[in-house]
Amino acid sequence: MSDPSPERERVGPLIRSPLDLAGGLFLIAIAVVGYAGTFSLSLGQLSDIGAGMMPKVVAVLVGAFGCILALQSFVVLGDGLARWGVRGPLLLLSAALLFAFAVRPLGLVIAGPLAFLVAALADRSTRFVEAVIAAIVATLFCGLLFKELLSLPIPFDPRDILGFLHGPYDALKVAIKGLVMAISR
Amino acid sequence: MIDLSDNLLLGMSVALSLQNLTLCFLGCLIGTLVGVLPGVGPIATITMLLPITFGLDPVGALIMLAGIYYGAQYGGSTTAILVNIPGEASAVVTTLDGHQMAKQGRAGVALGIAAIGSFIAGCVGTLIIASLAGPMTRMALLFGPADYFALMVLGLMLAVVLAHGSVRRTIAIILVGILLSTVGVDLETGQDRLTFGWNEIADGIDVAIIAMGMFGFAEILRNLETDQSQEIMKARIGNLLPSRADFGQSAMPIARGTLLGGLLGLLPGNGSVLGPFASYTLEKKLAKDPSRFGKGAIEGVAGPESANNASAQTSFIPLLTLGIPPNAVMALMVGAMTIHGIVPGPQIITKQPELFWGMIASMWIGNLMLLVINLPLIGLWVRFLKVPYRLMFPSILLFCCIGIYSVNNSAFDVVLTVGFGLFGYALIKFGFEPAPLLLGFVLGRLLEEKLRQALVISGGEFMTFLNRPLSAGLLALAALLVLIAVLPAIRKSRDEVFQSAD
Repeated sequence: MSDPSPERERVGPLIRSPLDLAGGLFLIAIAVVGYAGTFSLSLGQLSDIGAGMMPKVVAVLVGAFGCILALQSFVVLGDGLARWGVRGPLLLLSAALLFAFAVRPLGLVIAGPLAFLVAALADRSTRFVEAVIAAIVATLFCGLLFKELLSLPIPFDPRDILGFLHGPYDALKVAIKGLVMAISR
Repeated sequence: MIDLSDNLLLGMSVALSLQNLTLCFLGCLIGTLVGVLPGVGPIATITMLLPITFGLDPVGALIMLAGIYYGAQYGGSTTAILVNIPGEASAVVTTLDGHQMAKQGRAGVALGIAAIGSFIAGCVGTLIIASLAGPMTRMALLFGPADYFALMVLGLMLAVVLAHGSVRRTIAIILVGILLSTVGVDLETGQDRLTFGWNEIADGIDVAIIAMGMFGFAEILRNLETDQSQEIMKARIGNLLPSRADFGQSAMPIARGTLLGGLLGLLPGNGSVLGPFASYTLEKKLAKDPSRFGKGAIEGVAGPESANNASAQTSFIPLLTLGIPPNAVMALMVGAMTIHGIVPGPQIITKQPELFWGMIASMWIGNLMLLVINLPLIGLWVRFLKVPYRLMFPSILLFCCIGIYSVNNSAFDVVLTVGFGLFGYALIKFGFEPAPLLLGFVLGRLLEEKLRQALVISGGEFMTFLNRPLSAGLLALAALLVLIAVLPAIRKSRDEVFQSAD
């Protein structure tokens, strides 16, 4: 595997391929969850396969491959563990989670820039002002595309808590629509 | 033949409607853009844009999605030639000679021949689909559940052989995909499986969620860790139209690439990835002076690019005739079809001929459009490459979130996607290639269904898979493939083919 770690880390005397060991243990963990989650389901008979047959058989196979990988890590020389990023995954995935929790109550107009800015922090070269402008532009673009053009039911504005903005917002919307119509003519 | 032209006429009448032409154009445009931008693959894009197609009729939706797919294949070559970064995995081979040509000031010629080769391949590919669809569909009707099961096993084994990583790891990851496919209420017994009390996944996990998590989110994470600064060609692109001598040198490679790619694309286990590699190897073997390859040989661009596009086209055949998606993108097309209430399989061609032939005709029109989009707009695509990744990836994330939210209007889906993003990241870090998982996931449900049906019919007799000549033959072929994959001698040459790309 060339992808995860270009530089081979120091391989200990016992474990000759840390990557295989980790991969194997990961597979075994998946297999355990898969088997435990279907433990109570019946296998059924061959002529009448039960709900548990497929997941259990597959889980056992996954586990078997996990064992092979884990065991071969003691024999076959292989790659070291890849380095895991912390900043990237943490910020990027939090950004998506923030979006998930903010979009219903607050709408795209808040959730969009929020997710954009938190995600942007994942990269060290991000510049603040540039990112804020891009966040606003991207959100407006998405609002226009998904809400106005495609009329998807995604909430755009925080109507519930900012009801007083409703009037000005609608007026703005009408104005923009009129403008677009005028241009397209 | 009269049948064929009648069918194509029907298809044209559908595809040439103003709405479908526009959608085809939009799809090609977006696809090319996606192909040009490194770090946004066709899988993530199709998932992102699924909600856009909700409001369309099924034909229009599929025409647009197909356009994105082959547009991306096409656009990937632009970055491969200009920046030495394959916009798509399939354009890896093009970087070898294409970028060398660009360095020699022949970027325009490389782009031109790639576009022309792809166009020819696309046309032939469309004809292959149109002429094979009928016979393949009739053949599909002969398939019983046991044969379907065997065919899927064969397809998955092919995917194993063709995957980049080790055989053991790929089989394991496909099995994980199958395990994920069992999540949800079991249709026959009504029992909950692996839902752990979450009602939201009682209907199973949406393929869009897995695709977006593992290819949208995890891909961004992977890109963030690699240096995204790119050296953009400062040199002039030069004349786009290849000279007569260039054409002479490229004609046969284009023909051979088209044939090779078209055949490989038919294979049910992602044979399309092999097309460009096989074509490059073949051209190098046939060349009078193989040492020119890697130093800007035009055959090394013309052949693989044609093969790539031909296989992109013909990989629709297993999906449209047998209902079996041959690769991850086609797996998403199944998702798109399901949203629009279409069950992929042999019944499409008889029950919805306008959908089937409309889509095929649109592919030919789309290829023509790509030729028009790609060549004059190259300057525009190059400008897109200059957008820094630090602004691009938050936008991609935002698009992903809105897209996944809109599939079911569910914030929970976004959370689940985050989970799969983390899962995909972990898989990459543990050295697994995530693409086969998606294939296993999509085929998993069909696999279980057909296995159950076959065993009910045979009364629990497992020998039914070996007694039927069709399924026995397919299973034997699958076994042979595994054997081949683990034999050391052949493994070595397989690794060499992939190595020449790295």
